[in-house]
Order: sequence, then C-alpha cells, then structure tokens
Amino acid sequence: MTAATACRTCAPGREEALVQLGVSTGRWDYLVALAGNPNTGKSTVFNALTGLRQHTGNWPGKTVTRAEGVFASHGRRVKLVDLPGTYSLQAGSTDEEVARDFILFGRPDVTVVVLDATRLERNLNLALQVLEITDRVVICLNLMDEARRHGIAVDPVALGRELGVPVVATSARRGEGVDALRQAIHDVATGAVQPRPFRVTRHDPAVEALVGEVREAVEAAFPGLPNARWVALRLLNADERVEEAVRSGELARLAGLAAPATAAATVPAGTPADGAAVLAAASAARWKLQPDFHDRLTQGIYGAAERITRAVQLTGLRRARFDLDRTLDRLLTSRVTGFPVMLLLLGVVFWLTIAGANVPSALLADLLIDRVHPLLRAAAAGLPWWLGGILVDGVYLATAWVVSVMLPPMAIFFPLFTLLEDFGYLPRVAFNLDALFRRAGAHGKQALTMCMGFGCNAAGVVATRIIDSPRERLVAILTNNFSLCNGRWPTQILVASVFLGSLVPAAFAGLVSAGAVVGITLLGVAAMFASSWLLTRTVLRGEATSFSLELPPYRPPRLLQTLYTSLVDRTLIVLWRAVVFAAPAGAVIWLVGNVRAGGASLAEHLVGWLDPLGVLIGLNGVILLAYVVAIPANEIVIPTVLMLTVLTQGVAGVGAGAGVMFELESAAQVGELLRGAGWTALTGLNLMLFSLLHNPCSTTIYTIYRETGSVKWTVVSVLLPLALGFTATFLVAQAWRIAAGG
Amino acid sequence: MPDPRTALLVFALVAGVLLLVAWPRRGLVARVRRLRRLTERVRLEDALKHLYHATAAGGLATADGLAGALQVPRARALDLLARLEARGLARADGAGVALTDEGRAYALRLVRTHRLLEHFLADRTGVQPAEWHDLAEEREHEMTGAQVEALAARLGQPRYDPHGDPIPTATGELPAHDGVPLSALAAGEGGTIVHIEDEPREVFERLQREGLALGQLLVVRELAGSAVEVEVEGRVLTLPRVIAPAVTVVRRPAERTMSPRTLAALRPGETGRVARLSAACHGAQRRRLLDLGVVPGTDVTAEFASAAGDPVAYRVRGALVALRRQQAAWIELEPAGAPPREAA
Repeated sequence: MTAATACRTCAPGREEALVQLGVSTGRWDYLVALAGNPNTGKSTVFNALTGLRQHTGNWPGKTVTRAEGVFASHGRRVKLVDLPGTYSLQAGSTDEEVARDFILFGRPDVTVVVLDATRLERNLNLALQVLEITDRVVICLNLMDEARRHGIAVDPVALGRELGVPVVATSARRGEGVDALRQAIHDVATGAVQPRPFRVTRHDPAVEALVGEVREAVEAAFPGLPNARWVALRLLNADERVEEAVRSGELARLAGLAAPATAAATVPAGTPADGAAVLAAASAARWKLQPDFHDRLTQGIYGAAERITRAVQLTGLRRARFDLDRTLDRLLTSRVTGFPVMLLLLGVVFWLTIAGANVPSALLADLLIDRVHPLLRAAAAGLPWWLGGILVDGVYLATAWVVSVMLPPMAIFFPLFTLLEDFGYLPRVAFNLDALFRRAGAHGKQALTMCMGFGCNAAGVVATRIIDSPRERLVAILTNNFSLCNGRWPTQILVASVFLGSLVPAAFAGLVSAGAVVGITLLGVAAMFASSWLLTRTVLRGEATSFSLELPPYRPPRLLQTLYTSLVDRTLIVLWRAVVFAAPAGAVIWLVGNVRAGGASLAEHLVGWLDPLGVLIGLNGVILLAYVVAIPANEIVIPTVLMLTVLTQGVAGVGAGAGVMFELESAAQVGELLRGAGWTALTGLNLMLFSLLHNPCSTTIYTIYRETGSVKWTVVSVLLPLALGFTATFLVAQAWRIAAGG
Repeated sequence: MPDPRTALLVFALVAGVLLLVAWPRRGLVARVRRLRRLTERVRLEDALKHLYHATAAGGLATADGLAGALQVPRARALDLLARLEARGLARADGAGVALTDEGRAYALRLVRTHRLLEHFLADRTGVQPAEWHDLAEEREHEMTGAQVEALAARLGQPRYDPHGDPIPTATGELPAHDGVPLSALAAGEGGTIVHIEDEPREVFERLQREGLALGQLLVVRELAGSAVEVEVEGRVLTLPRVIAPAVTVVRRPAERTMSPRTLAALRPGETGRVARLSAACHGAQRRRLLDLGVVPGTDVTAEFASAAGDPVAYRVRGALVALRRQQAAWIELEPAGAPPREAA
C-alpha cells in the first residue's frame, strides 16, 4: 500500500508533520491518538484495543516513552498512538509538549480522551482543553466498575450531550465497552458522526474581550482554521511553538487542511505579512493582560468542568464500599500503624525475594554452568583454542552467570512490587516517607525508585519517570546506585560470612554476617540521603522543582496482567540489556587471563600495577582489576576475583583454567583460597564497602544516559559513588591499620 | 605500604587544597572566574546601568556615587566616566553626569536583559530568590541581542520581573508602574505589594525571610518610632523603618487584605474554599497546582495526614492530592462562614 492510498484523508503537509513526530505513514487508514490524565487506565484501554500488536519506543528527541499499535475495524486498519499521561495541555513540561504537538500538528483522525469516572471533574480539565484544539474527539469514560464500587454513577449519555461528542462507557480491564469504543472511533473517523463540541467560552469579560481581538486577527489571516479561538489563547499565553507555527506558515497549512476540499484546492500560503499581523495583534493584546491571566483561564475551564460534573454525576449511592478505601488509608498512613505496616510489607517482599530466589538460582547455575558449559566446551573442540576460549569460556560463561544470578530474584521482586503498585499502595509509601526525603531535597517517590534499585539499579533509574519534577528526578537517578542491587547481594553475603563471620564464635557467625549485610544496606541508604542533600545544594541548585503526589483510589490488582507486564516490561528488558553488556565483558575477562606478554599474562601485569593503589585503600590489585573488567555486571565480580587469584597465585588444581571464571562449593573453601592469597578481615570489610560505593554497572550507566540525555549527569553518576567509595575505603583502611598497632 | 598516619595527613592536605580551590563562591576557581569576567566592557556596562538608575528617579549621578556603587576607587570611577563620555554615551551635566540618548538606549537594553534573566530564573528554575539578582548580573553581559530576544520569546514577553520592576521592551518602552513606598502609608492604610527592592542583598533577603512577596495584600497597623508594624496574609510583622521604602505598594482598600486562613490551617475533615494562590508560589509549581484544580472558588477538603504528619492528603475536584505544608501555606482560603457560591 503506498503512502498515498494509505493516508486517504491526508493533504500535503500532514505527512511531513507526521514523519517529524516519528509516525511512519505506511500501512494504516486512520490515525488515532489516545490522551488522558495519568492513572486513568489508559494503557489498559490501549492494550484492550490493540492486543499484543504494539511496540514501545521513545518520542523523537525526547526521553518520553510512546506506544504505538494497530487494530482492525470494519476492514480498515487503525493506528493508535498512546500519548503521555498529562494533567493539561498548557505545555509546561515535556510530556505536555509532546501530547499537544501531536494533537495539533499530527492532526489525528480521532483523539480519544480517557477519563476516570471516579475523578470526573479533574479529568474534564484535559478533555475540555482537547476539545478546544480539535473537533474529532471520542470520550472514553473508563473505570466504570470502580465508580460503581465507590457509589458514583456517571451518565454517559448526559455527558455526551454536554460535551457534544460521543461518549463511550468502558471498564477496559474487564473488556466491557471496548467494542462500542471501536465503533465510536470508526464513526468519527469516517465522518458518520459529526461532533459539535462544547467550547469553554465563559471566562471573565476582560479575558474574553482580549481573546476576541486576537481571534479575529487569526481568523482574518487564516480563514477556515477550526480552532482559531484556541490558537488565540495560546498566542496570548505567548506559546513559543504556536508562535513559530504562525510565523513559519505551518498554521496556514493547517488552515488549508481544514478547508473543505474542492476540485482545484490549493493550500493558501500564509504569507509572512499575515503571520506578522497576527503576532502583532497578540503582542498588543498581551500588553493589556492582567498578570493572573493563566489563573483565570484555568478557573474558567474548571468552572465549566464543575458545572458539567454536577449535571451528569451522582455520588453517595453506596456508602459501605467507599469506607473500605478510607479504612485502608487510615491503616496505612496513620501515625501508629503507618510505618510498621510499611516496614512489614517491604520486609516480606525482600525476604520472599531472597529466600525464593535461592533454589532457582542454584538450579539455573547448575544447568547453565555445570551442565551446558562442559557440553559447549566439547562442541567447541574443533575451533581454534582461542576462539573457543573467548566464545565459550568468556562470552557464554559471563552471560550464563549474569542470567542465573539476576533472573530469579528479579522475577520475584518485580512482580511483587508491581502488585503493590497496581493496588495503589506505593504512592502511600511515598506519602509517608516524603517528610524525610524532603529534608534531603528529594521527593517522597524516591523511596519507591530506591526500592526498585534494590532489585536492579537500571530498573530503578527507569522507574524515576514517576517523578515528574526535574530536579527531584535527577537526584533520584544520580543516587540510585546506593541501593544495593541484586547482583551485589551474593558478594556481600559471601564476603561477610567468610571474613566477618569467622571473627566470632561459630554460634554467632550467622547472626554477625547477616547483621553486617544489613548494616551495609543501611549505610547505602544513608549515603543516598547524604548525597541527595549534597547534590541539591551544589550542582542541582538551579533545577526547577514542582512537587505533586496524587493518591489514586485503591484497586484490586490483576494478577495475570501484572505478572505479564512486570515480567516482560521490567525483567526481560533489563535482563536483555544486561546480557548485551555482559557478553563482551566475558570476552575481555578471558583475554585478560590468556593474553601473554613478557612471560606473564596481561592479568598478572595489570594486577601488579594496580596493587599499590589497592593496598593503599585496604583492597588489592586483584579486586581492583576484577572491578574494572566487571564494570558491566556486578554478578561476575566474585567469580572473576577467584579466577584472578588462582591465576596470580599460581594455585594448582583449583578452578577451570586461565581466564575461566568459577565458583567454589563452600564458603570455607573460598576463605582458604583467599586467605592464602593474603586477604584479611580488612580486605573483606573494604570489599563490602567498595561493592556498595562504586560506579554503577554499565547497564545502569547506559540507562542513565538514555534517561537524562546528558553526558554531564552520566559522568556525575559515575564519579560520585566512585569518589565516595575510594574515600571511605581509604579512611577505613588507615583507621584499621592505626588501631591494629603502629 | 605507606604509614597510615602519613597517608591520612596527605589525604587531609589534598582535601583541604581541593576545598580551597573548588568551593562554590569563595574558592580560588570561582574568584578567578569572577575577575576574568570583569573585563573593561563589563565595567563600562555596570557604570552605564548605575547612571541610568541614578538619573531615572530624577536624581544626580556623580563620580562618588559611581565609585561607591561599583566599589572602586574614585580615580577609577572618573576614568570610567571619561571613557563613557568618549564613546558618546554620557555627558557632563552641571554638577553630575547624564546619559546621552544613545547611552540611555544602551542602558535600557542592559536593564531589559537583566530583568528578563531574573524572570527566567524565577519562572523556569528552582534558584533561590536571594540569588536571582547576582546571577542575572553575571549573565547579562554575556548575552547577544539575538539571544535576549529569543529568551524574551521563550518567556512570553513578560512585562515585569519577579521584583516587580517593569521590563523595557525591545524598542525601549517601559510599562507604567505606579506605587508608593511602604513608608508613605499611614496606620490603617493597605496596599498590594508591587515591587521589592533587590539591592542591597541583605535587605532583600530580610524581606524574603519575612515572607513578603509580590501581589500580597498588607495593612499598616502601627507606626512606632523606628519600626513599622504590618499585617500580611494573616501574619503580623515588624519591619525597621529604614528598610520600609524598599517595599513599594499600590494603595488598596484595607478591608480586602484580611485573609488569615490558608490550607495549612485545615484539620482532617474540614473543608475550605480557595480564595487565591499566593504570589510566592511561582513557576512550574504554580502551574502544577492550577492544573490540579486549585483555582479560586474550589472547595478543598483535608482528608488525612501522612504517618509523619506532612504532607497531608486533600480532596481536590474529586481526586486525592498530597500537598506539603509549604505548598498548603500558599493556598489562601476564604474566611470561614462565607456564603455558598451560586451554581455556575
């Protein structure tokens, strides 16, 4: 299908606009945009319409995700683009810019606005703004089942009369109303239904007069523009993007598109003179504006929203159910029970993760490393020894290690976390902890991203998208590394039991080593608070900040849906990225152990060079080299350390060969090997410290770069923990040595 | 392995040097950058601005005044004035110095840049109010004409800076600004704050700390000796008489200034109606509150507080929104017992 036949209602100019917005123009008949407040079940509606035929990516040039999908309706293909959830289209943030630009310049055939029936009045703000930009709107009144549960009844027919556009009531998670929604989209797209949208016009008289002036200028310059009033409003607000559109003639093209097509239709060119006249009129009108213009506009919109809501909504129909939410809130946020419940829940989640992941991890390791690895080695016997070595002993082994250590805990932690999120509990956690985080200059939601970081730091960094205030989001990203991620737990547990547990009588060994790990974790949390405080007072001083935290109603979580989303969205994607980074690391490790120069392997040379620095900070060259080559993944630090120790010490009969990572059966064996290489309790302690306070793994570094879009912040995120780590280990080493005598 | 005590000593020395060099405002690097910035052109522009401000109010500009403002020796001030005269930007005028037309235009452009920058800092960043002026001072010299116009476009051609000063247009016009110093009000008179003087910095910081901001309504309660007692936003403040002129107000009827209740005063279960959003709430923060529905006329109910006491969850337009105490204090309520509003 060529672009021409695909885009039947297109006129010249739209295709370029769409390409710029990142939408491919082939193979669909109608373009539909999906807008709505955050937390309205918009993604459920999206999934219900498109099924699995969708893919996610980013908006061009921005770090905002976007999902696109396709569905069939009456023999036509409909492309659905999911816009970011926004409270308004005033373009105060990137999300709002993206949504507004798409609706205005992308000119979708239909814009579907998803409203939450339990919070209708607030949601109408966005709906009314969308109605000012485009006529072709379908309202999806979602979460009707939740509204019923809360004793709220909204009349979709009455709402449709008030708004002048089709309104479809849905409960997307139950699949109710989805067919009717498809039908309504089809009707509006084909023109079978002509909406006559309600427009907010009862702002106060002073505002209205000025808007009228500018609107007249706009209509004179661009006759046929359907949303002249909205354009006038944006010009009065000095909206940069709209001004540019006026100046460059883009708006003229939009006006040309809106005019009915005639046989000899030509796009009226917006001459510079027209655009300049409009801008001059807007500038003159703006001079007469009161400073609280924006306030009054919003007031006008909400006034209309309130009136409409009163006309179509009945509340208080069922008192009993509503109190369940209130009781829950009382329990989860009260002074007495709030914190204990929170600690209990989070404790349970962590315990389930650690306990539950042990067996699967061991099984995976057994399968991938003990069984498959020798098979692969045998299969690679035909290849040159170095190729086989790199591929099997290097790449495969590292990847296998990462997968067996990373996958089971994440597969348990993320679904549990997502369940709590779906239920609506996580915002309450942010709510309870915000006072603490505010003192460090951060947002309460950082508690959540911190917890995600305990699963995987890369996932924690992505999770910071829930914080929409720029400064607080950066703080959360830059300090996420202080959460001890899954990949570092084995290192901590092993080293604690070998070196610290052995310092005390056997009866207390388990307790002491567990205590040490908990201590290190808490130290990480303290480091996070301290560095948040420092960052907001130094480098992040000038970043804009706007705190807001909405507490959505509690909803029964959907188990299967949650399992699917968290497994695919979070676990598998992060795992994939980790594998991509771990594979080359494996190759490097093998090479370092096997490339020989001047009679010794590369590893031995590097260890020799790094040793003085290592000893100075209470570690040694082996550990430092292991951390350098294992930047890609914390999981392979210990196996690399063991391999390097055996290599440099020339210990015979242990391990699987030069450059091949391995693990030992028992902690006692590990202790023997390492002590034989000169490790002491100090080495163990400082290794635990350094494992907490070092640069993020490369997956996380890459994710930070993608999320911030800035080299500067990525560099800060690497140097900050590294500086802290070196300083901490250095000071502890000196103190230990002084205390030990001398 | 080096002796631990030596190692610690070296570490302490290195850390000390690093701090000396890199400390934000007083470190070596910061000082060097400041000195390098103070090029000849920057000095001349500073002098020009001083002349403009000194003569704008109808006063006289002298070499001594300039020396004091720029903190340079008198000889240097005279030298600067001579250079300005040589470039045709200033001329001798009786006992003092006046600006030529060209000089005035140049000065207005500088003032425009400065105030646009302050507006930018207030509206688009989280920089503290006390730092707006100094930061704008630094950057105003580095911007080209095109950059200034681009900034003005981005900000929506604002007319006033966050201190209430009018921003000259690109063609050099100034919007009207009528107001009297606070010291001109008698006891019992009220007014809206339209300007807060940003220099000297200590005075501005003091006024900031007292919580004064543009747009606030205040009433003078008492003038006693060396102090002025005012009531603003339900609080009573005492200001030294000497700094009262730093606040400019436009006279307003006194009874409209009582607005004691803010959202922060609501206890769980209580409802209040929003009267206005304090002017101290600006930029992205203000826009977010408006988007959530916190506009004049909205009924807001306090539902419950968090386990730590702050923030508090409020029901706004059907949704449950958590606001920090500081934000709640920005939301002014109509007095309790106001008559119910007519249905729109």
